[in-house]
Amino acid sequence: MILSRRILLSAAAIGAAGLLAIPQLGFAANVQVGQPAPVFTAKDSNGKTVSLADLKGKTVVLEWSNHDCPFVRKHYSGNNMQALQKKWTAQNVVWLTIVSSPVGEQGYVTPDQANKLTTDRGAAPSAVLLDPKSQIARAYGAQVTPHMYVIDKTGKLAYAGGIDDKPSTRIDDLATAKNFVDVALSELAQGKAVSTATSRPYGCTVKYDTTS
Amino acid sequence: MRRLGFFRLLQQAALAAALAVGLVLPAQAQVQPQLSGNDLVAATLLAEPAVIRGGEPFWVGVRLRMAEHWHTYWRNPGDSGLATEIRWTLPPGFTAGPVVWPVPERIPIAHLVNYGYEGEILLLTQITPPAEMPSQIALKADVNWLVCQKECIPGEATLDLPLAAGNGGANPATAAAFATARQSLAQLSPWSARMETTPDGYVLHVAVPGLRADRIHSAAFLPHQEAMIEHAAAQPMQVDADRLTLTLKRGSFAAAGLPQQTGGLLVLTEDTGGTQQRQAFEFTEIAYGAAAPMMATADWTAILQAVVLAMLGGMLLNLMPCVFPVLSIKILALVGHAGTGRVQMRRHGMAYTLGILLSFGALAGLLLGLRAAGAQIGWGFQLQMPLVIAVLAYLLFAMGLSLSGVFHIGGSFAGIGEGLAQRGGYQGSFFTGILAAVVATPCTAPFMGAATGFALTQPAAIGIAIFLALGFGLALPFLVLTFVPQLADRLPRPGIWMERVKQALAFPLYATVAWLIWVLSQQVGQQGLLVAMLGLVLVAAAAWSFSLQGRAAAVSAAALLLVAGGALYGTARDAAVPGAPVAQVSANGQTVEAFSRQKLDSLLAQQQPVFVNMTAAWCITCMVNERTALSSERVQQAFRDRNIVYMKGDWTNQDPDITRVLEQNGRSGVPLYLFYAGGQSVVLPQILTPAIVLEHLDLLDRVGSRGQQQKSASLSNPTRSVQP
Repeated sequence: MILSRRILLSAAAIGAAGLLAIPQLGFAANVQVGQPAPVFTAKDSNGKTVSLADLKGKTVVLEWSNHDCPFVRKHYSGNNMQALQKKWTAQNVVWLTIVSSPVGEQGYVTPDQANKLTTDRGAAPSAVLLDPKSQIARAYGAQVTPHMYVIDKTGKLAYAGGIDDKPSTRIDDLATAKNFVDVALSELAQGKAVSTATSRPYGCTVKYDTTS
Repeated sequence: MRRLGFFRLLQQAALAAALAVGLVLPAQAQVQPQLSGNDLVAATLLAEPAVIRGGEPFWVGVRLRMAEHWHTYWRNPGDSGLATEIRWTLPPGFTAGPVVWPVPERIPIAHLVNYGYEGEILLLTQITPPAEMPSQIALKADVNWLVCQKECIPGEATLDLPLAAGNGGANPATAAAFATARQSLAQLSPWSARMETTPDGYVLHVAVPGLRADRIHSAAFLPHQEAMIEHAAAQPMQVDADRLTLTLKRGSFAAAGLPQQTGGLLVLTEDTGGTQQRQAFEFTEIAYGAAAPMMATADWTAILQAVVLAMLGGMLLNLMPCVFPVLSIKILALVGHAGTGRVQMRRHGMAYTLGILLSFGALAGLLLGLRAAGAQIGWGFQLQMPLVIAVLAYLLFAMGLSLSGVFHIGGSFAGIGEGLAQRGGYQGSFFTGILAAVVATPCTAPFMGAATGFALTQPAAIGIAIFLALGFGLALPFLVLTFVPQLADRLPRPGIWMERVKQALAFPLYATVAWLIWVLSQQVGQQGLLVAMLGLVLVAAAAWSFSLQGRAAAVSAAALLLVAGGALYGTARDAAVPGAPVAQVSANGQTVEAFSRQKLDSLLAQQQPVFVNMTAAWCITCMVNERTALSSERVQQAFRDRNIVYMKGDWTNQDPDITRVLEQNGRSGVPLYLFYAGGQSVVLPQILTPAIVLEHLDLLDRVGSRGQQQKSASLSNPTRSVQP
């Protein structure tokens, strides 16, 4: 009796360990600066289909967002994100704001809510992509909001990481922070190599969809 | 059909439920952000002293109490999150040290990992006031945190702490909080480490000898640097005799140019018979570098020093009561055959040396081999077996009887007497060498603890070299005598005095036997002791029988020895450990607690200062220290005055718990003296005087009041068990 119980317990433990291991396998995103950025196709908040492959020849910025995340709030309340969006979309850069929260999780928005947020916040992205199954997030290994990626005109990843060098939720820090995305875009615009190609991304964990 | 209808119904119900969940959850998610970070974390500022004193650093702590299931972050928050930040506003002349962080939990979230804390923590900071200050001062801390469950919410607080300045004074109200906080800190690693860079990341090498791989449930490295590694990646572990390695995956955001140094925590979880104990070791700086032999843990001068010391120790062994008679007999034989050719003499010297070296090499090899196989043993392990003690007692007793003239051992065995004269008698000298090494063991363990302890912490090759040096030292006096004929020539002429000296030399051997029997009495029950003593009588009878010429005598001697062997077996079988002693009050009124891991842990958890004495009946140094220092009235009075619990660990028999404590402190044998107070510990030297003991008690008192984080390589995490 005791022996069989022990066997059962071990089996259960092994099974549990196996279950824990499985979700890890799905996230082996291997995104590297200098390598081609993973292509994707997704619907935006206006129902239009956006495909990265179609954007070749243009510099593309990916911004992972969750409007209730305090780090995202910092950059919108301080008008930092909107200013960047306006500055660079004006220079023919495509700015894609991506929302990867699944239904029921913080940051999830319906297309209407997404458009309302854009209006309310005075944001100016080229498009807001809805990724409720977290597929794009998985492809890029996006960890946090805001996690920022810059893709150059040849489709290669030129920058991946945090938005700046002041990991905090304080708006005051915006004034003194070095904005890595702004620097990378400026350098690309001048045909230079990106000086800081990666930095530690900071923010709230991307709320991944775990059902699919 | 009916069945199908039922299924359809079920399907619809499920769909409805899914929809309901889908509708309800977003609503909830939108309610959540209304909470503020201050609702979820209660922050308070505490000071350890009630009254501070000019110029004397003191500790303060920011206490964060998190709402259930919510967490705040470590200095490296991991893949997301944010470390709690404290900004101080201090009166003029005050300075604040860095935050001393408790050991964090690894918090997995989806496929990411964070490092942080749930429940309650106290973030310690040391404040140094100026020598002169007003009587009332106030400290101010602006604290910012990010508190997360799934969602994250920032919070902040401005905390004020008024303090009185004066002559210092403890604060009973906060003592427990600071004591608990210190227990949750990592201890400084006693081991060196190196970070080898590889194409995919790093291999962390930690020079920790003698870890038992089967007992390590898990090991994880938590780096101080945020982007250094892939936090969620598995860290494959490998444990071998002298190191632990963890393979770490480089973080995808690790900048190209890493700093020259890194640091972090090594968190080990050990299986201790059903329960898992976690312990963390902090590495303040780890050098990056290619793979290099870990032998560099001790530099060559240290090794050379140990070798020379071991050799000197070996020479000293010649004067020990167990070895001196053997050497003397050898020298007497030399005297008796002064005419022997020089070449033969040298060969005898070399054969003797070879015998010793082989025995020491074999013993060291056996010890290292057993340890590599995971046995929790140290030098002196041979004396923890009653059988070995009994055999040694018989052997020395037989030798004593021979010296007393009861019987005559032939040259072929011990090389006493005629063996030296014969050309083919070299094996006699060789066996004398072995005999010298064997009879020396009861003396090496008690007296050579430090040298052998060092040897065992080194890689096998160095360890064996040190043991061989010890053996060479033992052989050296005789070897020199045989190689320098002028010295041999100066020995006195042979005569009747030789017989007298021989007989006299029996008595140190008898004394050694008496001591061994006493050790045995600590290891076996009364029955076993009686059997062992009867065995001695049988050995004496066999010796007497052997001395009678003739076949019958030889046969009866053999039979008697056989029975004595049976007695040995009886002794070993009766190795019933005497009941574990509990707290006892000895004749002079000193209270002694028997060492146990649990007991020590609970005492330290209560902030009780503890003095630990690891000893063994067969350890002469230990006995001397106890007699002259620890049991002295001055020391005992100091223990009483300072309310120090005196704890004694008895290593006479094997005790893995004690072995582990010894290894933690770089020892492989007793004695070991440890003093714990105020969350810290100090190791005392191996030779004690009352003054040395008192000095160390003071030392920790001083350090303790300053509260430096000066932890020794010992079990300074009181609530957690010691790692092997």
